[in-house]
Amino acid sequence: MERSCQKTENFSLDSTSMTKNTPRELFEKGLIREDQFNKIDVINSGKVVSVFYELQTLLYLGVLLFTSGVGILIYMNIGSLGHLISIFALILLSIGCFYYAFKKGVAYSNDSVKPVTPYFDYVVLLGALVFVSVAGYLQFQFGILNENLELVTLITSVFFFYIAYRFDHLGVLSLAITALASFWSVSISPQKWYSGTFFETANLHVVAIIFGVSVAAIALVLEMKRIKIHFTFTYLNFCSLLFFAGAITGLFIGEWWFAYLLLIYGGCLFAYVMAMKRKSFLFLLYAFICAYIGTTYLLEKTILRDAIEIWFLYSIFSCGGFIYFIIKYKNYFKQK
Amino acid sequence: MNHAYNEVNLYNLAVIKESKRWSSQGLIEEVQLKNIEQEYPCSFYHPNIIIRILLFIATLFALSGVTGLLALLFGKLGEGIVATGCLMYGTFSFVILDRVLVNQYRHYKSGVTEALLYHACGFAIVGLSWMADFNTYFVLITCLLVFSYAAVRFLDLLTTVAAIGSLAGLLFYACYEAGGIFQQVIPFVFILCFGSVYVITRKLKKHNHLKFWLLNMMIVEVISLLLVYAAGNYLVVRELSINLMNLELVGGQDIPFAFLFYALTIIVPFALLYTGIKHKDVLALRVSLIAIAFTVFTFKYYYGFGHPEITLTVAGALLFGIGMLLFNYLKKMRGGFTRENHLAEKWANLNLQAFVISQTLGGNQSGVGSQIETGGGGKFGGGGSTDSF
Repeated sequence: MERSCQKTENFSLDSTSMTKNTPRELFEKGLIREDQFNKIDVINSGKVVSVFYELQTLLYLGVLLFTSGVGILIYMNIGSLGHLISIFALILLSIGCFYYAFKKGVAYSNDSVKPVTPYFDYVVLLGALVFVSVAGYLQFQFGILNENLELVTLITSVFFFYIAYRFDHLGVLSLAITALASFWSVSISPQKWYSGTFFETANLHVVAIIFGVSVAAIALVLEMKRIKIHFTFTYLNFCSLLFFAGAITGLFIGEWWFAYLLLIYGGCLFAYVMAMKRKSFLFLLYAFICAYIGTTYLLEKTILRDAIEIWFLYSIFSCGGFIYFIIKYKNYFKQK
Repeated sequence: MNHAYNEVNLYNLAVIKESKRWSSQGLIEEVQLKNIEQEYPCSFYHPNIIIRILLFIATLFALSGVTGLLALLFGKLGEGIVATGCLMYGTFSFVILDRVLVNQYRHYKSGVTEALLYHACGFAIVGLSWMADFNTYFVLITCLLVFSYAAVRFLDLLTTVAAIGSLAGLLFYACYEAGGIFQQVIPFVFILCFGSVYVITRKLKKHNHLKFWLLNMMIVEVISLLLVYAAGNYLVVRELSINLMNLELVGGQDIPFAFLFYALTIIVPFALLYTGIKHKDVLALRVSLIAIAFTVFTFKYYYGFGHPEITLTVAGALLFGIGMLLFNYLKKMRGGFTRENHLAEKWANLNLQAFVISQTLGGNQSGVGSQIETGGGGKFGGGGSTDSF
């Protein structure tokens, strides 16, 4: 490992990574071919630096700031000439984005589609967000849907779903799902649960559970039909978040807690099966944590009461046992 | 002091991890990856990130049970004994971690180790500080020593951050307590000290025998750069002077050396940007971008937040424009920089990106929605964007 220090020295100052000379080592051992070595070594030694993620972050921040600014700006100075011009400019911008997307983008496919340019996804995202902002504003101004204002959210969601499927865009898909959930007045946002304002209205947790189950079912049907299989994870992720949040809220509310407990166990079983089938450990995390919360609640309601020592012992033995279980069966929990 | 791990295993793990990245990018084939994994066996228990989080949470729960029981048993014995007890318990945790988990069961950053490590640090620090009656100097020095030990011995990154933080705290507190002229020169002391830390770390990074601490050194580098920038930043200096040193500014008065701090606020980020590009140093590049953003914020803070919506729109358009221009500019490789995505970053998971998009960009789709919906109106809360700027 020491020998080829001088070799890379003059090219890069910062390539002192632990695996600096690994490509050469692998090549000499015959584990990789020469053409592969040549490709990997320029990257590994830092002779070529990719700024892909830095630029993507710039674009993301750009979209974030721009759409937030526009979202406020659009409702100010209503009626003035400059305002009309800027609305017009935004419409043009949105049309421009979609013109680019339709012209450059590949035709729709049921499989995952590689973006044609590294910024393609962000152009689509910008176009979609600006379009929705302007459409929302026009509705506000001219009140086409004055009777059913929630419809705006539903239409937004449908529009996002269309864009997501047409241009194979996971980001817009998750926007579509959150918009659809918000049509049913449920929020998918961890920050909201944290501040305790989740499920303000009574029985909203029931809506969340039903929403979670039905959308997950639709997602699985779509997967069986082999339509955008790589979207399933996003669907299931949002659905399990909603389902478990709803079920746990129901559990704590009282009266029907045993029914909710059974629901939680059912959800955990489903999440566990999904995790094992897809080798996706996020669902495993949900399953274990929710099952633990449910079981702890059950014990608290039935046998374990009052004595604090018992709770300490419980946390030691339950968590200790869990850790032991995970490590014991570590091969079972391995990726691939 | 050496780290606690087996070096062959550490190296082999690094090789396997790199090879996996190459394989996921199609640079090598599956079969080759399998061969490499066989050639470089690694006996560490190092599960994937989700299992690590699970184990971390579970370990914390279990440890809190242990701590609770101990507190019930020994809690009433009087301060001196409890303090010593904390220290002993912390030390004991370090020993268990080192000898049993790492040495015997070959855990390497498994979630269990992190939980036990932070737990041990916490008790060692509280115990020691308690014995010295929580004297601030003593607490800061204890933090620095314990965190450094944890960082060096267990190659841990979070305690590295904590160690640097304690060093900065100690430095600040020392100057602050000294009073008078020392308070005035705190920014310069910081720039000098962390400038040197940065330079020294960069030198150390070139030593081959320190390669196992490379990630720790990168963290030290980034934080020193950020501290150097913050120490010279006009906003930071001004607000800290007013809040902590009771500096009173009336009318057109400005902080001492105001001009210098204005200059530093502008020069440091661009100097970093230049170094980053010149030396192809991605770390400096990333820090410089953060610094530039904060510089803009500094000037906006004092020269008008009058129209946040216009600022947001213009800034967004600019960033998007610059991003697009650079993407086009780097269509061909220029000066060793390319726009192509060679190696997937660990955190750059597409699903994660989608989730971030849905959480941050959802707020501004329809202003109407948020005005009408009542109750759990949820996602379309509007706003939310201003605080992220």
